[in-house]
Amino acid sequence: MSLWKELTKGVLRENPLFVLVLGMCPSLAITTSVANGIGMGVAFTGVLLASNIVISMLRKVIPNSIRIPSYIVIIATFVTMVEMLLHAYSPALFKSLGVFIPLIVVNCIILGRAEAFASKNGLTRSILDALGMGLGFTFALVTISTFREVLGAGTFLGMPVFGDSFQSALIMILPPGAFITLGCILAFINKMQSMKAAKRTMVGQQVAQQQLSSN
Amino acid sequence: MRNTLKLGLFLLLIAGIAGLGIAYVNELTQPLIAAQQEEEQLASLKEVYAEAENVVDESEQYLDENTGSIVTQVKVAYQGDDPVGVIYLVEPDGYSGKIQLMAGFDIATKKMTGIKVLSQTETPGLGSNAQESFFTERFKGKTVEKPLEIVKKEPVDDNQVLAITSATITSKAVANGVNAAREHFMENFLQ
Repeated sequence: MSLWKELTKGVLRENPLFVLVLGMCPSLAITTSVANGIGMGVAFTGVLLASNIVISMLRKVIPNSIRIPSYIVIIATFVTMVEMLLHAYSPALFKSLGVFIPLIVVNCIILGRAEAFASKNGLTRSILDALGMGLGFTFALVTISTFREVLGAGTFLGMPVFGDSFQSALIMILPPGAFITLGCILAFINKMQSMKAAKRTMVGQQVAQQQLSSN
Repeated sequence: MRNTLKLGLFLLLIAGIAGLGIAYVNELTQPLIAAQQEEEQLASLKEVYAEAENVVDESEQYLDENTGSIVTQVKVAYQGDDPVGVIYLVEPDGYSGKIQLMAGFDIATKKMTGIKVLSQTETPGLGSNAQESFFTERFKGKTVEKPLEIVKKEPVDDNQVLAITSATITSKAVANGVNAAREHFMENFLQ
């Protein structure tokens, strides 16, 4: 796979949340505002990048039988550092994300990329993979947050979007709204993918027919 | 056996390096985090005593471990070198567990400046309303001359405070806490 494809696969084609369907827990919990989505996305990308780098550099050194505990120690270390840095430099975001910062340790995406990619690929590819997946996850979080904040609170990044007469659908800010939003988005993406697959099959059939008729 | 030892040592190495890394970041961030917590505390103190700019914790000076009092902290607010107010932290026994509350007193006017209930485990919907402003406001501006008394009808005297409906025990617990602080205030700060 080319280096560019390595970077972009995480954004759409293999989006960790919408396609690989990993990391659902924080996605449903913290996406009540776009600011939260961006903040979590950035924190997550930082941890993923750092852990991918270290695990890729140590991939030939870590004994196979204890690779999972080693990965978890490495990931937990970076999450702890990110948590302390957020507490010190961004206390509002720290309070907003709350318990979901330490929960980044068990975010399936990070352990998943470590096991499936960083432990088997070189440093450059691992960095690109981390950036792509981080970007894709942030994009996914922001998408969900946009729907939930605009419809559930009438604001985007805290700025009111509609006039005073707008009555926000409170359910969007509550857990059921998260499930509904994610469900609709996944349904939309699956529909797009099946339409694309159908078109490819049709085009393939047309090409086959033409080849047959020209013989 | 030898292999297990090697694996164990490897994990020890990784954990050791990780620990050093975390310790370093902790050094960097500790002072910032401590400063933030102090700011939060000061904001909280200002809710019971609005002019609380320079507050000194003088609990050691004023509290005696043997008194068995429910007063746990004494903080004195200064303007320059003069003490102007006192903020107490008291922990009276509520209906179901301890209630933690702050009470502010002004030295010049000899009145209560306000109270704030920090934590409670009272009955939800009834005693838990002790944390609501509609109840804590009833203590604002009360005199310190006489102990406060909880009443179930509209207060007639200046030292009477209306109870929360159906939560008399909780209301009285809060009053007990405030009175303990009031006594200490009378003894130590009003000459």
